[in-house]
Formats: sequence, C-alpha cells, structure tokens
Amino acid sequence: MSMRALFGLLLAAAMTLVAGAASAHPHVWITATSELLYAADGSITGVRHAWTFDDMFSAYAVQGLESKTKGTYTREELGPLAQTNVESLKEYAYFTFARADGKKERFQEPVDYFLDYKDTVLTLHFTLPLKNPVKPKQLVLEVFDRSYFIDFQMAKDNPVKLVGAPAGCQMKLDRPGDGSATAQKLNEQTFLNGENSNFGMMFANKITVDCP
Amino acid sequence: MIGRLQSPLARGLLACAALVAVLAVADAALHDLFAQNPFGAPKATQAPEPEASGLIGWLLAKQSEFYRQMSSTIRAAKSDGSAVWTLLFISFAYGIFHAAGPGHGKAVIASYLVANRETARRGIALSFASALMQSLVAILIVGISAWVLNATAKTMCKAEGVIEIASYALIALFGLRLVWVKGRTFIRALQATQPVPAMAGVPHDHDHGHHHHHDAHDHHHHDHGRAHDHHAHAHDHHGHDHVHDEHCGHSHGPTPSELAGPGGWRRGFAAILTVGIRPCSGAILVLVFALAQGLFWAGIAATFLMGLGTAITVAAIAVVAVSAKDIAARLSAGRDGGGALFMRGIEFGAAALVLLFGVGLLFGYIAAERTTCF
Repeated sequence: MSMRALFGLLLAAAMTLVAGAASAHPHVWITATSELLYAADGSITGVRHAWTFDDMFSAYAVQGLESKTKGTYTREELGPLAQTNVESLKEYAYFTFARADGKKERFQEPVDYFLDYKDTVLTLHFTLPLKNPVKPKQLVLEVFDRSYFIDFQMAKDNPVKLVGAPAGCQMKLDRPGDGSATAQKLNEQTFLNGENSNFGMMFANKITVDCP
Repeated sequence: MIGRLQSPLARGLLACAALVAVLAVADAALHDLFAQNPFGAPKATQAPEPEASGLIGWLLAKQSEFYRQMSSTIRAAKSDGSAVWTLLFISFAYGIFHAAGPGHGKAVIASYLVANRETARRGIALSFASALMQSLVAILIVGISAWVLNATAKTMCKAEGVIEIASYALIALFGLRLVWVKGRTFIRALQATQPVPAMAGVPHDHDHGHHHHHDAHDHHHHDHGRAHDHHAHAHDHHGHDHVHDEHCGHSHGPTPSELAGPGGWRRGFAAILTVGIRPCSGAILVLVFALAQGLFWAGIAATFLMGLGTAITVAAIAVVAVSAKDIAARLSAGRDGGGALFMRGIEFGAAALVLLFGVGLLFGYIAAERTTCF
C-alpha cells in the first residue's frame, strides 16, 4: 500500500497542478467610487456607482459604435451601450452585495444610468435603489465579481461617500488583499461548488458603515 | 488489504476511493505549499488566512501586470515602431503566466493524456496545436466580426459566448466518450483480477494481432507488458468500434492502440479542437484594442506570441502529467493484477475528470470560466 500511495501521490500532485483550482483571472479592471444615499429620516435608500473601465476594455466596448466625431463619444451616442450594460449587470447582481445588520438586502433595477467617454476610458454611472430602504446599525456593502473576470478597485481618492448620512455614522473601507476583507482559503470548494464558487470574494471591496 | 476483499467491484471501488483520498491529501499539501511560497506578495499585516498570495497569487499578479502593460505598449507602438518588440515580449510572457495559472484547457489536455496513455512527445504536440488553434480562432472572430463587419462588442461577446458553450459541450462529449471507453476497460480489468477462465480465454485470441501493432509502434507502452494489460487493450479497441459508427461528433477520439499508428493525428485532432476552439478573452480584447489603434497586425502578432507562451507552459504541464503516469505505471508493473487494475483505475479517473470538467463548465459550476458580457 505504501508504494501505491507513493505513486498515487505523485500522480495526484501532477493532476492537482493542472486541474486543481480552476481560477480565473481578470480581463477587465474597474476603478470604482460609490455613494451611499440616505433619506431625510436617516435610512439608506440605495447606492450610486461610478465605474471607470480600463482603456483596453473601453476600446473593446465602443468597438463598432457610431459617433459624429471620430474618437469621441457623447453621452447620447453611448446611451444604448449604457442600457446594455445595466441590463447585463442584472445577471451578476450588479456585483454589489449589501447586508443590513447581517441580513441580505436586494436592489431594484438601476436608474439614472449613463456612460461617459473621457481620456479614452469609459465610466458607467448608475444608481441602485434598495428594494426596501433600511436603517441598520451596521451596513456592509461589498463590491466584487465572484468569478474574478473583473477586478474591482475602489478609487484612491474619495472612494466612498455617504450622502446625507446621519451625524455620527462611521465608514470603513477594506480593500482587497489587506487581509481584513472576507478572506477565503484557496481550495477546491472555492471553485467547484457552484453557488459557493466565490473565488472573487478574496478580491472584494468591503464598505462598512456603523451608525449610532 | 486486497486479500481481505472478495468482490472485484469492492476492490475497484476501494481503488477509486484511495485515489480520491490521495488526491485530497495531496491537494491540501499543495495548497499549503502555495501558501508558504516565498514568491508571494509581501504583506504588511500577517493575515491569518492566505488570500491570493502564494504561487497562484503571484501568477495572477504577474499576468495582470503583463496584460495591463499591453494596452500602453500598443499605444506606444503607434508612434514608435520599436515598441512592437516590447509588445511581443510582453505577450509571450503573458502567455506563459496565463497558462501557468489554473484553467480548463490544461486540465483537459493533461487528463486526456493520462487517460489515453499518451506519450510526452504527443502531449507537447497537442499543447502547441491547441494553442495555435486558440490564437487562430481569436483572430478569426475579431477579424471577421470587428474588422470586416464592424460589429459591436455586444455582438462579438455573444458570438464568444456561443463558441464557449459549444466548446464546453465538446469537452463534456469528449469526456463522455473517454469514460465510456475507459470505464469498459476498467471493468474488464476488474473482472480480469478474478481468475475466470471462460472470460480470459476469448479475448486472448482476439488480442494477438493487436499485440504486434501495439509493440511495434509504441515502446512507451512496453512498461505495462502484462497479460492483463493487453487483455484490457483488446477490449478497449472493441469498445471503440461500438461507439465509432453511431456518434460522428466524437467518433475520432483515440484508443490507445490506434494512437501509435498512422492517422493518429486525426484522433488527436479531437483533443485539439475541444481545447482550442474556445478563444482566450484576453486575446480578443487585445485584438480589438489593437484594431482600434489602427495596428491590427500588431494585435495578431501579439496573439500568436501569447499562444506560443501558453503552449510552452501547457506542454511542460503535459510532460509532468505523462511522467507521473509513467512512474506510476513502472511501479505498478511489478505487481500482479492489482497494478494493472490500478492503472486502469487511474485512466478511468482521468477520463471521468474530463467529463466532470465539461459538465461543470457547461452548467456554470465552474463560474470562473464564463465570459462576462456587459
């Protein structure tokens, strides 16, 4: 048995190397800023995102689009693309996951969306209204792509804004890779469990807002 | 251990279970190894859980780095021709790192090689051919849709999605076929470990012509030079005949005995097609970007270099897989019955892995490998 175990191990090592973790790697990079929108009564009504794509993907996204002036695209010319974007994002839950005092909250379809084209890159603006406005002690908002096809990074300057938040609310941003975001160990379960294939979790941006 | 078990089925199941257990153990060990890899990005705060550090994290970081340099280099190439050389180098490096990170292409090729008792040489050839095909498919997609038809990204991405699903279906079919052939062989091997004269007699005659063919062309298989093995071969061949006529879609999948002979490429083609038909999203993005910059040819060159880099890594992995299999075969050759049975079990397991990958990819269980269109 020991002999057998030995060569089994050898083979297994080789197989794991090739077949083990079916992890993806990003092809699209997004630099994000997010605003948390508060109503007058202090409840959170939604999130407004501005996502700036990398220039490679931006060039890909505008491929084939008509524009009056070559190399520039107006907000109107980009209208149909913006609509496609937000419609497709639904399948991915807008890469935005909210929990109010630990309870999952859902978003409605995006509103007020448009695309800007500036310095050869596209920025997608859109607002995600919460299905039910909430007034939690703690709100956790995570932005990430679980398949890690898209790499999300919160902007360096002013990544998160609280718009109209009650006084005393504290915001904390955990960027991916600093060890404090929800980390998961790389293992088979991470990749092969369907619902749980949360590889991208490790690259999540976690916004925590604590209110008194 | 074997002696205690009476039923060959139980023994087979045990062999399978042992394989799975060993896989799990080795996997954990390997991940520990990755986690402690000195190449891992240095961290200011020591995280209790390893994140995307270690080897995989490093690979991810490297390929992202190279990939992100591509756009600026293509831009630079517009005014400075020498930047093209940089682009080619970056593409090549990206290809190498890209393939070193885990992905289904390598897994399918390696599993296929193990299941089919392929030689390392053929593994290398398969790796290069499938990478070349991947490059060509990407160039064709962008060339036709973006360059000729001026289609939008939406259309292109949809086309990509369709090809992707088709390729995953192909993998599943390919896996199904391998499982069918290897499963039969495995069951025969199970039966062969129990001396049943009536069973052993018939296939032995059947075996002889085949035997010569086998030995003359493929010395590599000499390692398994045991009666049981040839016995299995005969049935393998038999199984293939059954499948051959009814399913044109995957009728070209090789059986070990045929691989060595002329025309082996036709069957290798199934593997190449299965893996190579799905283009890399990265290559498509680079091509469209290059097209937008008016440097489509630079994008094409970059795509081929990426393919070359990918091929080198996949070939290396293929050689490792085949070598491990060879070592296992050599070790098990000295054992009676059980050794051959074990090898058939491994081949069957590898075949099942291909099927598992195909089904997993097809139904989105491996979410990491879906093109995101938006």
